[in-house]
Amino acid sequence: MLDTSNNRFILYEPEPGVCEAQVAIADSLGLHARPAALLARAAQQFEAELFISAAGQRADAKSILDILSLSAGRGTVLSLRAEGKDCAAAVRTLAELILTRFREDEDEAASTAEEAL
Amino acid sequence: MKRNIFHGISVSAGIAIGRAFFLARKFPQVQAAREISPTQTGTELARLDAAFESTRREIEDAGRRIPPSLKDQTGILAAHLMICRDPKLIQAARQAVKSDFLSAEWALEKAVAAIAESFSLIEDSYIRERLQDVRAVAERIMGHLRGRLASALPPDEPFILLAHDITPADTLELSLKQIIAFATEEGSRTAHTGIMARSLQIPAVVGVGALEEAVNDGDMLVLDALEGLILVNPDQAVLSRYQTQQNKFSAFQATLRRNAKLPAEPPGGFRVAVRGNIETPDEVMAVLKAGGEGIGLYRTEYGFICRVEPPSEEDLFEEYRRLLSAAAPHKVVFRTLDVGADKMLWDQKMLEEANPALGLRGIRYCLRNQDVFRRQLRAILRASMYGNAALMFPMISGPRELRQAKAVLNEVKQELDTSKVPFDRHMPVGLMIELPAAAMTADILAREVDFFSIGTNDLIQYSIAVDRTNKHVSSLHQPLHPGIVRTIKLVVDMAHMAGVPVSICGEMASDPYCLLILLGMGIDEISMAPQAIPGIKHIIRHLDLDECTRLAREAHDAGSIQAVNRLVKLTLAQAFPDELPFYISLLDTGDFA
Repeated sequence: MLDTSNNRFILYEPEPGVCEAQVAIADSLGLHARPAALLARAAQQFEAELFISAAGQRADAKSILDILSLSAGRGTVLSLRAEGKDCAAAVRTLAELILTRFREDEDEAASTAEEAL
Repeated sequence: MKRNIFHGISVSAGIAIGRAFFLARKFPQVQAAREISPTQTGTELARLDAAFESTRREIEDAGRRIPPSLKDQTGILAAHLMICRDPKLIQAARQAVKSDFLSAEWALEKAVAAIAESFSLIEDSYIRERLQDVRAVAERIMGHLRGRLASALPPDEPFILLAHDITPADTLELSLKQIIAFATEEGSRTAHTGIMARSLQIPAVVGVGALEEAVNDGDMLVLDALEGLILVNPDQAVLSRYQTQQNKFSAFQATLRRNAKLPAEPPGGFRVAVRGNIETPDEVMAVLKAGGEGIGLYRTEYGFICRVEPPSEEDLFEEYRRLLSAAAPHKVVFRTLDVGADKMLWDQKMLEEANPALGLRGIRYCLRNQDVFRRQLRAILRASMYGNAALMFPMISGPRELRQAKAVLNEVKQELDTSKVPFDRHMPVGLMIELPAAAMTADILAREVDFFSIGTNDLIQYSIAVDRTNKHVSSLHQPLHPGIVRTIKLVVDMAHMAGVPVSICGEMASDPYCLLILLGMGIDEISMAPQAIPGIKHIIRHLDLDECTRLAREAHDAGSIQAVNRLVKLTLAQAFPDELPFYISLLDTGDFA
């Protein structure tokens, strides 16, 4: 099943209760401390189990330490996968975070981080 | 006698003189019992959870009290908060209590050690160093487990903050206004302390080593973050020398700011155009404010990489038009897409190259992926109507590639003509000299372009065959190696014979010592990071060009790099005895200081 409402990434639903998407990291430093913190925090809001994979390595999206250990740099393609009843919302939230909120706009990033606190 | 002089790494320039205060001296090591009996697991788990919880509240509280000047530090606090809430860390610590019957303290240590081990395998040094964040959080949790001792109160007067390591949460427990400098035992060039110190605009030295033992609270310190030095209880003569130096530094910074807009023109010499290197259109204001006369290198990759879909021609046109209008009437030199090696487009991940630095990058990628290349060329040409644009191709290895690239450019121009889209017909077209093969064919290439731009970082890498980020060989990265000096000289001479101007856009241009040699060889333009512009323009305005010419000749024929380094250092030290310590150099000045 294909979600065509969003032209920036495609949400796949390979089976009921499982959602997947692929996105490339825009931030110049890649998944460094701040983006990893924002991702983990966003992931923790969902019931579904959430995974981020890069280059064959899989991380628990709710663990900042796991995300950091992917050491994914700019341009890396990340595969997102959620398993659980809110899987679609979980994947969409994380994908949008990676696409839109990791810009090197310090003010925006700072206020986003502030929300996280 | 205690040591009274310490060396470290400067991460924020300046000089501070003041009393020392050591943050959170270590708790007396009350050693917790290691093993517990199975009946105690409930109590230990509760202690562990409570310590995590207290730490979490502490960090959240710090986040709410963060002052506006440290707003960008909230990201690090957010990271600390997430580490404190990390399910893996919590699980591992709880598991160690439940299965290994360890006390809460030992369980936490075991969990952190496991993370340290997995992080030690990470290649990316930035990520690997984030372990220090894990340790900082663990240290706080440990403090709660042990029942934190009230730390000594900081003095009321301004002081120099010393610590094992400083986190933003630490500084919030103190009054920031009172802190005039930082020094930490731990830390490296990328440590948060540096970011924090630069945003507070105070000097900082990190990686100093054992300060806690050697310095008492209240000791008088000189922190020289130009040389990376800390002096403990210096005598009056040293103190007054540093006071003078400190005043000079502030005065110099003020002069640089005041004179940033003056032209870079040596006495009796020609004017050298000084421009900025940037990655996004927004940075153009910083360049103009610093006195840069336009953009000497616009790295166009940002507009491609920060997207999931390749950008449309309209996206690119809009970006370029915005940049050109903001910089007008100054020039903007667009470097066409230079991906590969350390910068990858998403589809390039598919390429398994054993040696990406020698692989499909720069113009090679563009000639192979012409749809992307043509889209960019169309966007640059269309945008050229809105300002003073020039274009150059990266990674050209010789005449054939240049002709292929120019042929594509001409086809695009014809398409625009056919569809009656206007563009600047006189837009200069140049190329980057980064490969030794291009340098050796400079006379042929010069006949076919309007300008050269020498990318010295890559030219050095490919000439000496050295990766300067590789610590085993980085000492071989010598900008004033006669091989490099001769290559640049050859390029400049060949270009000038054909009436083609040469600019330098690598880091050599912002190095005060290399600058002398470059000017001595007759470089026409230089471009660099915006913050380096005022200082470099200052040097150019006070240089003796004949002296530079003589030095360039010596460097050309030198039998020893060290001798050349020493010579430029001495010359510059004579011309700028007071200002030179305020500059940072690429050259390894340690061995002849």
